[in-house]
Amino acid sequence: MSENSANNKNPLLPQMCKVIDVHRETPDVKKFRIQSVQGQRPFATLPGQLGMLSLPGVGEAMFSVTAEGDDWLEMALKQTGLLTDALHELNPGDIVGLRGPYGNHFPIESSKGKDMLFISGGIGLAPVRSFIRYAFKHRADYGYIDILYGARSYDDLVFKEELFENWPKEPDTSLHVTVDRGSPNWQGNVGFVPPYLEECAFSPAGKLAVLCGPPIMINMCLKSLSKMGFADEQIVTTLEMRMQCGIGKCGRCNIGSKYVCLDGPVFTLAELRELPQEV
Amino acid sequence: MELKKENLEKALTALTRLGKVLVPGVVDGVKKFVPYAAGADIDLDMVNTTLPPKDVLFPQTQKMYRFTTGPDAAFEEISDAEEQILFGARPCDAQSIDCLDKVFLSGEYTDAYYADKRGKLTIVAAACAKAAPTCFCRSMGVDPGGAPNADLLLAPTAGGWNLHCQSDKGKAVLEALSGLLEDADGQALPPAQPELVVDMAPVAEKISTMFEHPIWDELHRPCIGCGTCTFVCPTCYCFEMGPEMHGAEGTEMRYWDSCMFSEYTRMAGGHNPRPSAKERLRNRYLHKLSYFVERYGQTLCVGCGRCVEKCPANLDISRAIEMIGEAKTE
Repeated sequence: MSENSANNKNPLLPQMCKVIDVHRETPDVKKFRIQSVQGQRPFATLPGQLGMLSLPGVGEAMFSVTAEGDDWLEMALKQTGLLTDALHELNPGDIVGLRGPYGNHFPIESSKGKDMLFISGGIGLAPVRSFIRYAFKHRADYGYIDILYGARSYDDLVFKEELFENWPKEPDTSLHVTVDRGSPNWQGNVGFVPPYLEECAFSPAGKLAVLCGPPIMINMCLKSLSKMGFADEQIVTTLEMRMQCGIGKCGRCNIGSKYVCLDGPVFTLAELRELPQEV
Repeated sequence: MELKKENLEKALTALTRLGKVLVPGVVDGVKKFVPYAAGADIDLDMVNTTLPPKDVLFPQTQKMYRFTTGPDAAFEEISDAEEQILFGARPCDAQSIDCLDKVFLSGEYTDAYYADKRGKLTIVAAACAKAAPTCFCRSMGVDPGGAPNADLLLAPTAGGWNLHCQSDKGKAVLEALSGLLEDADGQALPPAQPELVVDMAPVAEKISTMFEHPIWDELHRPCIGCGTCTFVCPTCYCFEMGPEMHGAEGTEMRYWDSCMFSEYTRMAGGHNPRPSAKERLRNRYLHKLSYFVERYGQTLCVGCGRCVEKCPANLDISRAIEMIGEAKTE
């Protein structure tokens, strides 16, 4: 086994890592902090990039790297199947495999100097969070930051500490949080993300919209953004397909001639319009 | 230089000194490439083997790495490449290896398992003097009289084959065969002229615009999703990875997969972007005739005709190419 798969000639061989922290975000989402067994960050990522996380003997799946520190990476996993059921059982100290980083990344360079509008729903905040954190870390490079986020209910909102404590304290930043169904512990907006987006009436001037969430929400928000005057080049989203190899060989994550694992997961709406509508 | 038919067995025996020699043979009634052994049932006259030689480089099951689970978890890479000589591969099969090379060796990532095997493979291709009724290689740009990426080309003669060396690995084969070859060339037979001819030109022109075309509603109808076409296809390379467990120890395996199976793209949670045979067949044909061309500059079909011969529902990619070519587009 490779001590460090980044330097290994075999890109399909995972690097041996350990879970160093587990945090429950919602009833079905847990956030895992992962480190190589030597105590290092498994690899460096750019916002939006992916990692192939494996549980030896159970399986492997691709997840976005939602944050990285000097000696760790973070992934937020929603419990949806056999593998994520098993991953949710993990405790600090448990061994996992990790390969990556995979895929392209959010346009951190070309968006410099622009106002940012981050829109996400449900677990879709996980990939977007990597860009939000990057923007706050390089605060002077970006203009005004609007973060619009929605989930089914207050309990289903992920990263609450950042949503309600950390990010609202950042300069020139507004949070717009909504839930599909209200509850006694929620005082904010109730309603789906797309209508709330139109209600907020963001001006498209000098702005880049970054969008991630369930397919239905993405489709509705794309329509809303176009209606609000956003050009196709001003809208960036991420695609999801089943992935296996992560390196553009195994065949299954193609949309047209593009592989989501290799050429994606980040596409502008202008790029998406060139691809077959098969997601 | 000519290798006479009567010296073939001696030649193959001589080649076994260079590595494992794989020849077209018959096992349990199935024509495929098998390790040569003296007296084996080899048949260099068969036009195409039923199973393609892709497993020589891309085995149906590949052991990737061993691992143990639990607190002392460890991973151990498995490398099982050995020197192999693929003897008697047809020009279409040689071209299919060129397609696989593009997938596994080009781009940002190199597939280590394929690269190890490819580096240790010598291709001795045999040009075709006759074609099967399902052969349409010429229509797909493959010359049945040549194989540019072969290390050595056998061109058929009345009594054997003329040898054309095409690389250093080919020279090593010639050296191993010294003493078994005639100095002069024999009378070469003309290359095959397949009767099945399709016109790719109109397809190349418009297929990238035909994703939403109603033709896919028709083409997929006979398909029963058995995956035979992908199994016998020399260029189909899609794979799946997964563990085989024995107690706390396991081996991560790589298996051939098929884009014609519904599970192939089904995601955790149940969403499937290609839910029916229509989407799956469309993706397979577009991959072969359009997407692969966009990505690598060549088609992912070499016209070998195996899928035409073996499809239990009589789906015929040559007929599909004709229909796509004739389809009206706006």
